[in-house]
Amino acid sequence: MAFGGEFILRPRSWRRLARFAGFATVAALSSSAYTRAAREIAVHQIYLTAWKVVPGYLAFSALLSLVIIEVVRNAARSYGLTDYALELVLRVLVLELIPFLTAVFVALRSGSEIGAEIALMRVSGELEDQEEAGASPLHHELAPRVVGSALSVFTLTTLASALAMYIAYASFFGTSISGFHVFTRVVGHIFDLQILVGFLLKCLVFGLAVALIPLATGLEAERGEPRSVPFTVVAGLVKLFFVVCLIEILSLVVKYV
Amino acid sequence: MTEQPAPQTNPSLLPRNLGVKVGMLLAFAIMVATALVVYVLWARGVFEQTQRLTLIADNVDGVSAGMDLTFAGFPIGRVRRLSLSEDGKARIHVRVPVDDARWLRTTTVFTLEVGLVGSVKLRAYSANLQDPPLPDRAERPVLRGDTAQEIPKMVASLRSVLENIDQMTEASSSLAQSLNNARAVTERMAGKQGVLGAMVGSEENAKKVIAAIDHANTLLASLNGVSLKLDSVLSKTDQKVLGEGGVVDETQKAVKQANAILDEVSASLKRVDAILADAQVVASNAKAATADLGALRAEVEASLRRISALVDEINRKWPFARDTNVKLP
Repeated sequence: MAFGGEFILRPRSWRRLARFAGFATVAALSSSAYTRAAREIAVHQIYLTAWKVVPGYLAFSALLSLVIIEVVRNAARSYGLTDYALELVLRVLVLELIPFLTAVFVALRSGSEIGAEIALMRVSGELEDQEEAGASPLHHELAPRVVGSALSVFTLTTLASALAMYIAYASFFGTSISGFHVFTRVVGHIFDLQILVGFLLKCLVFGLAVALIPLATGLEAERGEPRSVPFTVVAGLVKLFFVVCLIEILSLVVKYV
Repeated sequence: MTEQPAPQTNPSLLPRNLGVKVGMLLAFAIMVATALVVYVLWARGVFEQTQRLTLIADNVDGVSAGMDLTFAGFPIGRVRRLSLSEDGKARIHVRVPVDDARWLRTTTVFTLEVGLVGSVKLRAYSANLQDPPLPDRAERPVLRGDTAQEIPKMVASLRSVLENIDQMTEASSSLAQSLNNARAVTERMAGKQGVLGAMVGSEENAKKVIAAIDHANTLLASLNGVSLKLDSVLSKTDQKVLGEGGVVDETQKAVKQANAILDEVSASLKRVDAILADAQVVASNAKAATADLGALRAEVEASLRRISALVDEINRKWPFARDTNVKLP
């Protein structure tokens, strides 16, 4: 059993992950994957990952947004930089924190679940049985889960970002619409074309990472060895966290350095 | 994890209308995402008609794309990009929405202000909004005010000022010497002889001056006595000349007497006239009349002698007369 603390440094595992990511992405994009059964799995995945957590997650992100907005506002006011407070809030919250937190939240909530599920299917030999029966588990079992997870991340990120923007507006201007012009100007100032494209790209990559990494790591469980399941689940989460952080750092480097 | 069943193994545990719920959630998320993207594009002015403006500056340090051009504190335009022209001038390409372009006139002045803290500010000032509007694709120079660039100049001039002050405050400087002199003077002022001591230089001199002043005082007192005496003399003189029985009074009286005498002379002469007329008429009795004439002549001579005497008296009493002759008619 090689699933110890050093799994991050195992190149073989990363190679397998990259290969699986490629196959799964192609499978998700091919129309043959969208059978009725696959659609059901995807819907079920979105239901578990997004629908069931929407109220809790939105409440959590609203609270976090409110706290951060107030902290930034008060700090900016005490330094006499009130003009920059709104821009700072939107940059920190909408561009960076909300997508990152959503990815981490979905990873913790669903990544472990998916990883464990796939690892168990692998241990019980279900996947291999399907393969032997001529079915393609990649298309029928895995690709729908990837799509479902990615869509869940997209949904939660969008809703939480919109909510954060609304809370930012309400904190700075209250319910009056008089600040709309200023707010729009700041939004226009922040989201130039590169930032907007980069933001959408980052959300997509987060979604894919959250969907793919636990799945791919779950596949590393060995048939007939139930003890390998916890290792694969933990390995998947650690890898996922590492990758999400790496994406965030890369996006920051590209944007600001 | 326990409530999550494999969908194909136990589909009955899934809520009904799961597809509809998930579909609604996805549709809502897609709607929100689309709205956000459209809003951002709208905020970027993608759907807005704009006019172009190029500002030309020597240095666009601190200016960046996306920066606002403000008019009266309100953003009216945005920097799109920066470029360097062939002649080495920096060009700031600004897009101004057509609605906001009305604030820009042909006489509008553009400034680039660089503060010590905070970002660079691009501002427009329109003095007269009645001037013709700024045309599309206009090129205008921009005036740059840079606090950071002013500071070295200020420091240089400040240093020369400080050097001057340094020179002025040195122990050997003229200011220090002046101050020493001033102190010596004020010390003397504070001394026994006060300001006078300071003015004349030494205590001895001051004493001399005080003695001189004392002498002057006694002199003035005696002069006062003299002037009093002079006053009494003058008043006496006044009385003698102008008072009752004085010179003037006597003269007046003499003049009155002279007038009376002259009247008498005039009357006598009239009588002479009459007599002469009579003499003409009575030519033949001339010899007879000679006696009368002799008497009359004696009378006239007497009158003339009296006049002469009177005139002499006047002359004696009237010292101011220049002409001593009395003209007779």
